[in-house]
Amino acid sequence: MGAQDLTILSLASLLIFLIPVFYINRRLRLTINKTMTFAIIRMCIQLSFVGIYLEFLFKFNSPVLNIIYLLIMISIACQSILRSSNLKILKFFIPVFFSLLFPFAIILLFFNAVVVRIDNLFEAKYMIPIGGMLLGNCLRSIIIGLNNFYSGIKKDEKTYLYSLSLFCSHIQALKPYFKESIIASITPTIASMATIGLVSLPGMMTGQILGGSVPIVAIKYQIAIMLSIFYAEYFSTILSVLFSLKVGFNELDVLNQNIFVSKK
Amino acid sequence: MIKFESVYLRKNDKEIFSGLNFFVQKNEKVLIQGKSGIGKTTLFKILLGFESIDKGKVSFNGKNITKEYIAEIRHQIFYLSQDIDLKNERVKSLLDEIWEQNPLKNQHKTHFSDLLNFLDLNDIILNQSVKELSGGERQRIGLFIGFLLDRPVWLLDEPTSAIDDTMKKKITNYIIGLEKTIVIISHDDVWKKNNTIKIKRW
Repeated sequence: MGAQDLTILSLASLLIFLIPVFYINRRLRLTINKTMTFAIIRMCIQLSFVGIYLEFLFKFNSPVLNIIYLLIMISIACQSILRSSNLKILKFFIPVFFSLLFPFAIILLFFNAVVVRIDNLFEAKYMIPIGGMLLGNCLRSIIIGLNNFYSGIKKDEKTYLYSLSLFCSHIQALKPYFKESIIASITPTIASMATIGLVSLPGMMTGQILGGSVPIVAIKYQIAIMLSIFYAEYFSTILSVLFSLKVGFNELDVLNQNIFVSKK
Repeated sequence: MIKFESVYLRKNDKEIFSGLNFFVQKNEKVLIQGKSGIGKTTLFKILLGFESIDKGKVSFNGKNITKEYIAEIRHQIFYLSQDIDLKNERVKSLLDEIWEQNPLKNQHKTHFSDLLNFLDLNDIILNQSVKELSGGERQRIGLFIGFLLDRPVWLLDEPTSAIDDTMKKKITNYIIGLEKTIVIISHDDVWKKNNTIKIKRW
């Protein structure tokens, strides 16, 4: 039992509601019609591609291919993390890559092996969507974490240096910024755990129910995935800050000014 | 103790030092005077490893300011920055954190309260947060930390700018009497009145 397939035509019928949106935008002189159209087209194209290669991955279901796919996804995630954090991509790529990889791999394998107990740990049906959800969320939390950490120190550099002179310990001087960045990055997930199910059904659950799972199974998966997301975010944010210290600071523990993308 | 030998430094296209020579002997007291913006504070920052020079040689106790020695060097310097950039926390917990990182030589309770009295500070201040302190209180808390840390070299950047005159006299006399190497940047004439101090005009 699965969800009913949609024909292209019926899918396209949803675009009808764009007509009043365009109309209202125009009347209100909201100049977002172009951006909106562009975004919708991009979404359709990107998801179609995902559909094509997921079909391909699911058909072969080869562990090696699945792992390569996820490694590529991690690399892309790294890039978008660094692009939206105004830190230089080349300098931070490797530390961010590994800070994503370790927690991600451990939690994903644990999920498959201990929680779901599937025989083939690299089964595409589990590995790809679960991996994607973990990555997507880690992406957001690392962006918040790194941004918060480095811009916090940059803004507060005098105080940071003064702490360094009093404590004579790099780690001790970094502590307040480290704490703040972790809190900022995991707060959204904690908040969403606290309110989940009150207003909206999470996307994954909706998908599973449409796909034919009974609600109680869908809910168990939802809880499992929320916890996994939280752990992956928590550890990858901490690691991303720790792994990046060598790049972010010079050998006398002073913040390197050349790590920021200069804004012009 | 402190040696700057033909030091060159450019910052934001501005020449800060071109061939600077500056020496301080052990237990010497040196007062640096001069217009603002000529790199007096930079001198301190270089010693602490917060800024690096373009050319020349800087050494502290015969050691270069490098990765190898920086922790050791910082451990010997008490630096009082112009704005006393203490992080914003309750004064008490900030002090506790500092002692935790720097085991104190003199841990007597009386020593602690004597110093508070001397600086005209009281227990109430310990429960305030750094942000709530006035400029003068901050300066005195900064000095309080310095007295307790008891590090051998002091770099003081305008340490008395927000302190009233009677207190100023008391504090400067006390500081100059300490058996320490002390470099002071100050516009305050109160430091000059003392004969033991060596004045450098820039």
